[in-house]
Amino acid sequence: MDCDQRIEQAGREKREQVERLELFDANVWLGEPAGFPLAAAMDWLELKRTMESYGIRQALVSHWAGLRVAAQEGNRRLLATVREAGGPAVPAIWTGLPLFPGEEGPLPGIGEAPHCLRGVRLFPRSHNYPLADWVLGELCAWLAGKRLPLFLWHVEVDWPSLHALASAYPRLAVVVETQTQKILYQDRPLFALMRACPNVYVEISNLVGAGFLAYAVRELGGERLLFGSFLPVNDPWVSVGLILDAEIGWEDKRRIAGDNLRRLLAGSTA
Amino acid sequence: MSEPFIIDAHAHTGAMNLFFSPESSARQLLARMDRQGIRCCVNAGGWTYLLMGGREGLEELRREHLESQGRIFYLGVYDPRRGREALAELKQARGWPGFAGIKIHPSFHRTPAEDSAYEPVWSFAAEHDLTVMSHSWSVSDYNPVQVLSLPRRFEGWVRRYPGVRFVLAHAGGRGNGRADAVRMARELPNVYLDLAGDVFCFRLLEGLEREVPAGKLLFGSDFPWLDPRANLSRVLLAGISTETKRRILRDNALEAYRLPA
Repeated sequence: MDCDQRIEQAGREKREQVERLELFDANVWLGEPAGFPLAAAMDWLELKRTMESYGIRQALVSHWAGLRVAAQEGNRRLLATVREAGGPAVPAIWTGLPLFPGEEGPLPGIGEAPHCLRGVRLFPRSHNYPLADWVLGELCAWLAGKRLPLFLWHVEVDWPSLHALASAYPRLAVVVETQTQKILYQDRPLFALMRACPNVYVEISNLVGAGFLAYAVRELGGERLLFGSFLPVNDPWVSVGLILDAEIGWEDKRRIAGDNLRRLLAGSTA
Repeated sequence: MSEPFIIDAHAHTGAMNLFFSPESSARQLLARMDRQGIRCCVNAGGWTYLLMGGREGLEELRREHLESQGRIFYLGVYDPRRGREALAELKQARGWPGFAGIKIHPSFHRTPAEDSAYEPVWSFAAEHDLTVMSHSWSVSDYNPVQVLSLPRRFEGWVRRYPGVRFVLAHAGGRGNGRADAVRMARELPNVYLDLAGDVFCFRLLEGLEREVPAGKLLFGSDFPWLDPRANLSRVLLAGISTETKRRILRDNALEAYRLPA
């Protein structure tokens, strides 16, 4: 076989394997991206078509307005998307805030949680509050009670605070997300945190250091890594490729690709 | 079994304090190359050598080349802050086996890319038909020294030395630096872009295939900062022609670094 034939064969084989992974993406976004001047927004239909073209079967959807405008605005837009799409087929991650009497929603922890709600993301640094029990305790207790995971970009937290919070709420699943910069210079605290706190998971769209995936599976177990693409900012083939070519068993690949997230969300009562 | 053909045009070796890496040595790089079907790579500086320079670092790269049976080529580093010594080391290494060109890094070396302190190395590269690779990036609010390596800062040198093949590593980064890198690769015959690093932008390769001449893009991993699999899969699976993929994965690196076919 010449080079061109081998390239084509490698592409075909990878695409076939992707279909068998049954990808469930923890990290896709609607709205205008913040901090990525060359990235373009997608509406739900375009995002859905794009996901399908990459073999992504399901996804948790977030909205940039929750970061850049107001948590409530992002959540409202997600609710509207869910309505337009026809119901619970669009599981969503809402943006949360510390709970204060009198603050109007839609916010997680205030009023009835919608059926689409599958997790909550906080932006402590951008939204000006510390990641601390005395600020977030009520929300964390609510999340743990509903068995909804808490999502956090690593660039939004400091590691001692995250360790304290994850330790204080052992029944709360905490997902450390590897955006919006690659999680490389922070890998020592990340791996140490995951060793110390079994309720901490990592989303892998930017867990890209050499050999990280196989190392994490070997040292921490394959149950705590979650596939994410970071569409439409990032190329999904990056994290898909890391899973496909990892020196781990097929079962672990499938767990990371989607089964872990399905299991994590199975018990939620929103 | 088919021989590997892929060329990783941008890797590094060596443990570092910045982060923990399960893989970073030349031996581990070679093992990684074997597993991913990578025939050879260009080591753009061992970590210690990149930061501190010195003949010992260059000798280590030569040793790694020999121990890899000629599969790990390497670049000599020019740090303008120790210009005279660095140039003397490059002169010595020029004829060594595996020596494939020169690496500059304005951000690490805290010297803007257009600074006249780089004149000797451009002149040296032109005189000896050597390739120059430089780190390049966009303006970054969390890493301000990246501003020293904006692609347009190199433009004066590239125009003054049209015979020097020049590789903008990381293709100008994720932000507006990329637009300049693309423009330079279009306008200037001697400018190449490597894809090393975490420039994981959606549909980047599809856009670059339209915007940049076919012979200008090089696959690179930035090992051990990045796992080679991150960028390799996206090339293999991208919505671009097979010919473009082959050029990215092999042909363009052969040309840019004058590597043996």
